[in-house]
Amino acid sequence: MVGRPLDESELIRRAQRGDTHAYEELVHAYQGIAFRTAYVVARNAADAEEAAQDGFVKAWRALGRFREGAPFRPWLLRIVANEASNRRRSAGRRAGLVLRAAAEEPSGDAAPSPEAALLTAERRATLLAAVEELPEEQRDVVALRYFLGLSETEVAETLAIPPGTVKSRTARALERLRESYD
Amino acid sequence: MTELERELVALGDELEYPVAREVWPQVSPRLQRRRLWPALVAVAVVALGIAFAVPPARSAILKFFHIGSVSVEQVQTLPPAQTRPFSTGLGPKLARPTVKLPAGLTATAYYARPGLMAAVLRYRGARVLYAELRGDQMGFAKKFVGPTTHIEEVRLGEFGIWLSGAPHVLAWDRGQVQTRLAGNVLLWLDHDVTYRLEGDLSERQMLALARQITR
Repeated sequence: MVGRPLDESELIRRAQRGDTHAYEELVHAYQGIAFRTAYVVARNAADAEEAAQDGFVKAWRALGRFREGAPFRPWLLRIVANEASNRRRSAGRRAGLVLRAAAEEPSGDAAPSPEAALLTAERRATLLAAVEELPEEQRDVVALRYFLGLSETEVAETLAIPPGTVKSRTARALERLRESYD
Repeated sequence: MTELERELVALGDELEYPVAREVWPQVSPRLQRRRLWPALVAVAVVALGIAFAVPPARSAILKFFHIGSVSVEQVQTLPPAQTRPFSTGLGPKLARPTVKLPAGLTATAYYARPGLMAAVLRYRGARVLYAELRGDQMGFAKKFVGPTTHIEEVRLGEFGIWLSGAPHVLAWDRGQVQTRLAGNVLLWLDHDVTYRLEGDLSERQMLALARQITR
């Protein structure tokens, strides 16, 4: 997860006044999560890269309408996810999410996190396959909520859906995963 | 958090994403171009002023801005214009749909000419003209707005405005300048398409219709 700079609101205020240096800092802070959000939605690296770039440009143009004090990350990710979603609808190769090679064959260079230790390589692969089988709208919610670590509220804002819909899609997705995975 | 949810979080830590290039070098030049926009617009004002040749407006421009294919000038005195049908200047009436409308909305007429597709529809009892202008064809159409027309920015697409109050003058050049009076108009830009809705509806109704159309 990307950490927020302490002076984010000041950076936003400056960017709203046309300060591109301030905006550059915001771009650097959020480019990782923006790209990954675009990727889990578009499932194509080139499309995700374009969606992130276009999202940052559009966010710059829309900064005047950004409400002071509102959380910046979901506001930005909503623009990026919309760009990615538009690209997903177009023709093109779509890739599935993949596990890191190191995760399949632990090298011993680094100790696994307590959470990672919960999963054997086989269970990871099975769970990922089950996630990939979910309907698109449930898969997006699961990917943003659990893989990218967004809160329920942020997922709702990012996908432009009500929080209640995030809850219901999450519940349905977990139910399906339990059925196919346990 | 249930065990399954914890496992999903752990799985997320083990996923591999493609390596993305630094975003800023691609984004930065595009922000710079936007900062140059006022200068580009200023050049266009001169060019369009000649092209449209509408003397009263040309001589007293108070404000000018550009949204997609449409330029808006606030002037002290509106150029002469009359109320004319929506279809004026839209090209021949067509039987086939030229724009995609959401379920529940039907058009009474469709129109198309290069760069523009339009439909006249009925919404909440009012006749509404819906038009899509493709590409950034600066000056495709021009609006002259008097001091008593209200202009307000709205949250729609990349940028949107709502014009209400006193009618404004819509002008376009198809070999010769044509004009007509226009009422309430919602104008917005999204993905290089300029959208326009005109009709006797409130701002709230027009925004609801716009969101239905571009959802």
